Amino acid sequence: MLEISGLSSAYGRIEVLHGIGLVVPASQLVCLIGGNGAGKTTLLRAISGVQPLKSGSIRFDGQDITRLSAEERVKRGIAQVPEGRQIFGSLTVEDNLNLGGWLHGGGTASERDAIYAMFPILGEKRHLAAGGLSGGQQQMLAIGRALMSRPRLLLLDEPSMGLAPVLVEQVFGVIESLRAKGITMLLVEQNAAAALAKADYGYVIETGRITHSGPSAQLIGDPKVREAYLGI
Amino acid sequence: MPELLQFAFSGLTVGAVYALVALGFTLIYNASDVVNFAQGEFVMLGGMITVFLHLAGLPVPVAAFAAILITVLVGLALYAFAIDLARGSGAVQIIIITIGASIFLRGVAQVVFDKRFHALPPWFGSEPIRLGGAAILPQSLVVLTGAALIVALIFLLIDRTILGRAILATATNRLAARLVGIPVRRIVALSFALSAAIGAVAGLLVTPITLTSYDVGTLMALKGFAAAMLGGMGSAPGAIVGGVLLGLAESFGAGLISSKYKDAIAFLIILFTLFVRPQGLFGKKSTERV
Ligand SMILES: Nc1ncnc2c1ncn2[C@@H]1O[C@H](COP(=O)(O)OP(=O)(O)O)[C@@H](O)[C@H]1O
Ligand SMILES: [Mg+2]
Repeated sequence: MLEISGLSSAYGRIEVLHGIGLVVPASQLVCLIGGNGAGKTTLLRAISGVQPLKSGSIRFDGQDITRLSAEERVKRGIAQVPEGRQIFGSLTVEDNLNLGGWLHGGGTASERDAIYAMFPILGEKRHLAAGGLSGGQQQMLAIGRALMSRPRLLLLDEPSMGLAPVLVEQVFGVIESLRAKGITMLLVEQNAAAALAKADYGYVIETGRITHSGPSAQLIGDPKVREAYLGI
Repeated sequence: MPELLQFAFSGLTVGAVYALVALGFTLIYNASDVVNFAQGEFVMLGGMITVFLHLAGLPVPVAAFAAILITVLVGLALYAFAIDLARGSGAVQIIIITIGASIFLRGVAQVVFDKRFHALPPWFGSEPIRLGGAAILPQSLVVLTGAALIVALIFLLIDRTILGRAILATATNRLAARLVGIPVRRIVALSFALSAAIGAVAGLLVTPITLTSYDVGTLMALKGFAAAMLGGMGSAPGAIVGGVLLGLAESFGAGLISSKYKDAIAFLIILFTLFVRPQGLFGKKSTERV
C-alpha cells in the first residue's frame, strides 16, 4: 500500500535520512524501531507531507504522492498520530475530533460516537478543553482525531511514550483492535519488544539508514537486534 | 451631566472603530503570529476608495461594496507577496515587512488619490438626536450598529463553524492542523482577507464623522494596536473591550483634561499595559504555540 524508495531528507543542510526504503503492505502492521534521533519522526513527517524531501519517492496505492500536499495525502487516506500527541489544547475534545474530520466537513455524530465508544472517557469529557486531559487521555484523543479522517493508512509515532504501563497496554490494545478492523499501520516505537510482538514486519533504523528488516519473528530472533533494541 | 453623556457617546463611537481595528489585528495574529501594522491602511482604503468611487458617480452603497472588495484584494496581496514569501523569517522581520507595506500603501494612496481630507454623506442625515441633553449623530448609531453586527458575525464564524475551529486550530498548533488536512496557508490568507474587510468597513462607516485622508491609517494602527494590547493580543473579546475602553479614555481625557493630548493616550495605554499586565486584560500568560 505504501512504498518508499531512496528517500533522503534534511533539516537545512544537515541530512538526517539517507536513502530510506520501506514498504507497508495493505492490512499489515509494520513497525519501525530505532534509537533517539535515528530519524523515525522525520520519516513519518515526510510520509505525511509536512517534511520536504531531498530525493526519493513515496507511492501510495500504486500512485506517486511524492509531490502532493499534506492536505491531499490526508484526503487519500493517510493519517498520523504525531509524536507528543499535538492535540489542539485550547479547543474542546469534541472540536479536536471534528477537526480530525475536517476534510469531511467535520465528521458525523455517528463517527464521533464510534470514537466515544472506543474511548468512553473522551465522551465524558467531550466539552472540556483538551489541554486539561491527562497524557493517556490526550493520546486517545490524538488517535481518535486521526481516525476521524477515515484513514486507510495510520502512522503512529511513539503512541506509548510517557505513559504509565497500564495505559501503554491500553494503547497496544487499541492498535490491536484497529488492525482487526483492517486498518494498515506503520508504528514507530521505542518500546521495541512490545511493538515487534504485535507487528507483522519490522524495520530497524539507525542514524537515518535502515539497517535491519524482516518479519517480526525473524527480527526478534536476530542477535544484533536483540542486543541493541530488546535488551536481551 | 449632559457633557459626560456626550463624552461617553463619542467615546463609544470611536471605541467601536478601534475595536474593529483591534479585531483585525487579533484575527491575523491568531492565525499566523504576525502583528500586521498595515491594519490601519485597510481602514484608510475602505474610506478613501468609497469616497473616490462616490465622487466618480457611483452611489455610496455600491462604492462601499467595491471598496471592501478592493481592500480584501489588497489584504490578500499583502499576504501572498509579502508575508507568505517571508515565511520562516523571524517575527521582527515580518513586523518590519508589515510596516513597510503600510508605508507603501500610504504612498500609493497619496498618488492615486490626493493629500486632502474627504468626507462622505452620513447615511441618515446629520440632524443630531437629542438624548438627555447630549447630541448624538445618527451616523454614530450606524457605526455602533455596524460594529456590533461585524463582531457578532466574527464570533459566530469562530464559535459555530468548523472553519472557525480550523482558524483556531491553525493558531494553536500549526503542525497538527496540517496533519489533519487543514490548508493552513489558505486559512492564514483568509484571516488577512477578513481583517481587510473589517478594516474597510470600519473606515467607510466612520468617514462621515471623522473624515479621511491618505494618512489616517498610521494613527488608526496605533490605536488599534493599543486596544489589542490592552485587551490581550490574540483575544477577540479583549480586542472589543480594549477598543471601547481606549475610545472612552480618549473621549473623557479630551473632554475633561485637554484635547491636545488625545492621541498620547494610546501610547500611555501601551506603556501601562506593558508594565502592569503585559498579557493584557483577557490574555493568557503564555500561549501554547508550536
Ligand atoms: N526541527 C529540527 N531541526 C533540526 N534538526 C532536527 C529537527 N528535528 C529533528 N532533527 C534532527 O534530525 C535527526 C532525526 O530526528 P527525529 O526524526 O526526530 O528522530 P527520532 O524520531 O528517531 O527520535 C536528529 O538528529 C535530530 O536532532
Ligand atoms: Mg521521534
